[in-house]
Amino acid sequence: MGNIRRCAEQGRCSIKIYTGTGDHGKTGLFSGERVSKADKRLEACGDVDELNAVMGALGASLAEEDPNVAREIQEIQSALLHVGACLMTTPGSPLVDSLKAIEEEQIKSLETAMDRMDALLPPLRGFILPSGHPAATWAHIARTVCRRAERHAVSLLGEAKQEEWSAAHRRVLVYMNRLSDYLFVLSRYCNRIMGVQETLWEK
Amino acid sequence: MGEMSDLLREARTTVLHRTQLLSRSWISDEAFEIRCMRPPQFQFAPGQRVRFVQNEVERDYSPVSSPADEEIGFLVKSVKGGLFTSVLASAPEGASFHFTGPHGYFRFYPSERLPVFVATGTGVAPFVSMARAGVKGFILLHGVRCFLDLYYEPLFRKTAELYVPCLSAMKDPREGVPGAFAGRVTDYVSCQLASGAYDFYLCGNADMIRDVILLVDQKFPDSRVYTETFY
Repeated sequence: MGNIRRCAEQGRCSIKIYTGTGDHGKTGLFSGERVSKADKRLEACGDVDELNAVMGALGASLAEEDPNVAREIQEIQSALLHVGACLMTTPGSPLVDSLKAIEEEQIKSLETAMDRMDALLPPLRGFILPSGHPAATWAHIARTVCRRAERHAVSLLGEAKQEEWSAAHRRVLVYMNRLSDYLFVLSRYCNRIMGVQETLWEK
Repeated sequence: MGEMSDLLREARTTVLHRTQLLSRSWISDEAFEIRCMRPPQFQFAPGQRVRFVQNEVERDYSPVSSPADEEIGFLVKSVKGGLFTSVLASAPEGASFHFTGPHGYFRFYPSERLPVFVATGTGVAPFVSMARAGVKGFILLHGVRCFLDLYYEPLFRKTAELYVPCLSAMKDPREGVPGAFAGRVTDYVSCQLASGAYDFYLCGNADMIRDVILLVDQKFPDSRVYTETFY
């Protein structure tokens, strides 16, 4: 990685990728604190980052077959950047006011998408194995990373007093919970549109 | 603040504001302040920046004016061969420019900790805006090569609790500017700043920002660090 573009004159115009400020194991939160890279906040934010990368693979794997869902995934990826910023901001910090909270509409949109896909699927009659078409398996991986991110977010926010949680922090938990469900339905939908039979768990 | 928050602020929607150059006053051989018409509806917080867009060139500048001022001012350091500063240095009064913004979250956040503003060169601009908007009681370390580059000394003598011009080319600290420190801002932070938890506001070149952050990690636990990089 390197410097994207360096200006020859005053007035910043591009973001430098490397800063060297994290070479000794610490990094900065959006709210200004310097913390260890092993801090819980970094765990949670790293999970969201990982989820976003997996979402990218998921979107790429179904873009040809269903460009609408691929666009939906891109919107989720944008929302996840705001989720990450939220987790990097300590509840109670004045920087909380600068956060863009997940909106109720974004949560509703996940629910609507789930209902839309579910209407095309056979009823669920038992546990299914996370398997099938590559797009479906990406969705399963994304779901498990999403659940891990959610667990770490719950653990992190549990350290702060509930009254200090902002609307942005509260919505993160709701969004991550709903997104996991969305990804489960999406995995089944992917197998369906790709013509792959889903595999039921045989006890 | 890390790279992600930088990226997020770049992703904000951009409304193009039109402005006009009203006046230009040179404050050193290389630097000048321009005053521009403040576009209607344009509001900003002291410390935030705008992005000038001129043909294919984009340059970011932090206003030096207070948000309460009728006009909006910018500190510009003329760069030989610079695509945009040469335009700003020679444009006639009334010339039109466009900018987007305000951008970024570099603004003043009051807390129980003492604010320490650290600037190199024209990186002092956001602190000028903050001081003009009424922020007081801060420590300001302004790193410049020589006293001619201390553009806003009278303002900071009035508003700062401690104003330390850090002159990297000054050989003898007894000469020249009262209270000046012979050395870089990083030397001052390393050797002169009393231990404690502060709110550090860093604006200037990337090397200074990196070096001060590493010092904060070593010597000033429980501090907060807010940064704005000027290239």
